[in-house]
Amino acid sequence: MIKITRLFQWTIFGVIGLFGILGFANAIVTLTAIDRDLTRETRENSQNIAKAIADSNVDILLNSDLSTLQSRIDQMLPLLGSNGYIYITDEHNEIIAHTFVPNIPEEISSSEPTEGLIERTLKGKGDFFEVSHPILAGVGGNVHILIDQDDVSLLIQSAMGNQVWPLAITFLVAIVLGLFLVNLAARPIQQLLHYAVALAKKENVDEPQNEKLLVRKDEAGDLARLYQYFALVADPNRSGIEAK
Amino acid sequence: MKTKKTDRFTNPTRRTIVKGLAATPLVLALGANKLGAQELSQMSSNTQSSNSEFVNGVSDSQIVLGTSAAFTGPSRGLGIELYRGAMAYFQDVNSKGGVHGREITLTLYDDGYQPDPAVNNTTKLMRDDKVFALFGYVGTPTVTRVLPLLKKFQEESFLLFFPFTGAQPQRQLPYGPFAFNLRASYRQETGGLVENFVKVGREKIGVFYQADAYGRSGWAGCREALSKHNLKMVGEATYTRGTQYTASLKEQVEWFMRDKPDAIVCIGAYAACAAFLRDAVDGGLQVPIANLSFVGSENLLKLITDTHDNPEQYSQFLVNSQVVPSYNDLSLEGVQQYDEFMTKNAPSAPSHVTSKDEEYKTFDRSFVSLEGFLNAKLMTEILTRIGPEPTREGIEDAVFTIQDLDLGIGETVSFNEDRRQGLDRVYYTIVENGSFVPLNEWTAASNAWTEAAGS
Repeated sequence: MIKITRLFQWTIFGVIGLFGILGFANAIVTLTAIDRDLTRETRENSQNIAKAIADSNVDILLNSDLSTLQSRIDQMLPLLGSNGYIYITDEHNEIIAHTFVPNIPEEISSSEPTEGLIERTLKGKGDFFEVSHPILAGVGGNVHILIDQDDVSLLIQSAMGNQVWPLAITFLVAIVLGLFLVNLAARPIQQLLHYAVALAKKENVDEPQNEKLLVRKDEAGDLARLYQYFALVADPNRSGIEAK
Repeated sequence: MKTKKTDRFTNPTRRTIVKGLAATPLVLALGANKLGAQELSQMSSNTQSSNSEFVNGVSDSQIVLGTSAAFTGPSRGLGIELYRGAMAYFQDVNSKGGVHGREITLTLYDDGYQPDPAVNNTTKLMRDDKVFALFGYVGTPTVTRVLPLLKKFQEESFLLFFPFTGAQPQRQLPYGPFAFNLRASYRQETGGLVENFVKVGREKIGVFYQADAYGRSGWAGCREALSKHNLKMVGEATYTRGTQYTASLKEQVEWFMRDKPDAIVCIGAYAACAAFLRDAVDGGLQVPIANLSFVGSENLLKLITDTHDNPEQYSQFLVNSQVVPSYNDLSLEGVQQYDEFMTKNAPSAPSHVTSKDEEYKTFDRSFVSLEGFLNAKLMTEILTRIGPEPTREGIEDAVFTIQDLDLGIGETVSFNEDRRQGLDRVYYTIVENGSFVPLNEWTAASNAWTEAAGS
């Protein structure tokens, strides 16, 4: 257990506060960046998947081979997380392949054609980002990808969790290190105090730790020798003190 | 090619069969079907590819066909019964010396009716086992994913024979040239069902389907058939592949209750379709519920029968399309032969690829095993026509020599560049006295469904 010197109490509180502010600011910046980047990345991935399906299945659509088309979108489905969906509409906006179970949600079957990125709430399924990509510039229909917003949130939370732990550990290590360094700086003062008390009480003046203090070549040593000088000046006959 | 040793196979003993089997892991000599599971598991771990006698799945004594099918999971009954039907015929061929002195053997892998294992199995069959041809695959989602492999390895002339699926991808470009089909397509099955329902005034047709390539194939067939009558689907609902009979499908039933269809066409496997039939009838959705041949009619009916005291309450609404005639129609020479071979050879389930944890009781007779039997009969004819020195490159030409071939089911088979499907006929069946019988009078059946719903 590290003991905090009274002299440096405010200093150490200040250091902890400073680390806290730095850590908090760092966390805010990092987590905001994660949120923004992952949300963007998820949407871009969805758009890329939609584009990949749209661009690679033109022949299948033109051949009306819906089972192969279904097979392709089934293969893509695991890329969309635990609750993603894909559906494909033809040029008449009729859904010709999808991955919904037990049925196409009414919000989708009754909706007008959508483009680009929209947000959708599906009853019983949750909130989704929906991205669409046209097949043959729209004359072949559209590919629609639905990504569960909860999945995106979980992904972000997971990434944030991954960032928060290192930040928290760094913060704790910095505090412990700060305490150690402050204590290191305070140790000569404590030794000086101990020596001054010994001089005043005329007890244990010649302890080894006092001897070590008196030979130090820094300010603490200078102060110790000064105390010794004052003690000899005040009582030239006192014994047990060997002038340094 | 080495000289044949035909004398060795005129009367194959168990010892010669096992010796022949030692060349390949998981290879079942068809004559070895009566061997115990332990004996099968003790077979050599050597691979066929490491045996210099084999060249592209052919040795002096064997022709090896490769199969990936569902032998485990909720659709295992389909793979097992199809295999048993094929075995009934191949065993007979092998007991008479095989084809040009070579036994026909199958290298089997289980894919559990899942696409990724099917792809992995097929890669093994093509690259490691180097089988002569692929035969007897089960399912649309699996076959659809396997087809690109056939194109990828087209220089090695692999062909897929008689998959147990009526989907379009192996019937049209770009993958049509890599497969030969025997059965009618789902388009023909769904087209026939819709046509007959519409004829008897049941124009509001809903579709319950598996949420995958198979379901979509049947869905597309129904949609196309309805559009010919300027009709649209009245309600649709899906289920996840692999759904067990114990699952509740009430949510799907509720969707249909809202739309109130006159009939429902199911594009699924037997476990889910049986669960849907149960929940539909229990929920008051008492309309004819049609299933395609892939469903595995006997497996479906058994689930209903085994779990209800009064199964007729449910089965009276069943109408299943089939792509082979009734196995009870012994007036047909091919069915007679099937009946005889199933009795004589008593093929069992392939114990080395099925799961000991999943109990399965085989059927004495079934539409699926009859289809497997006909597949094997036609495959044997093709292997015979290839000649004594078979090569993969020669298969297609041999298939195209088949013109008006009579398999003994009242419909001949022909193949050419533009026709890679042997049969076109669709049969309809209903349940009477606990078994499927031909449905010939749709009007009478429709009246019976109406009456049953009213009561």
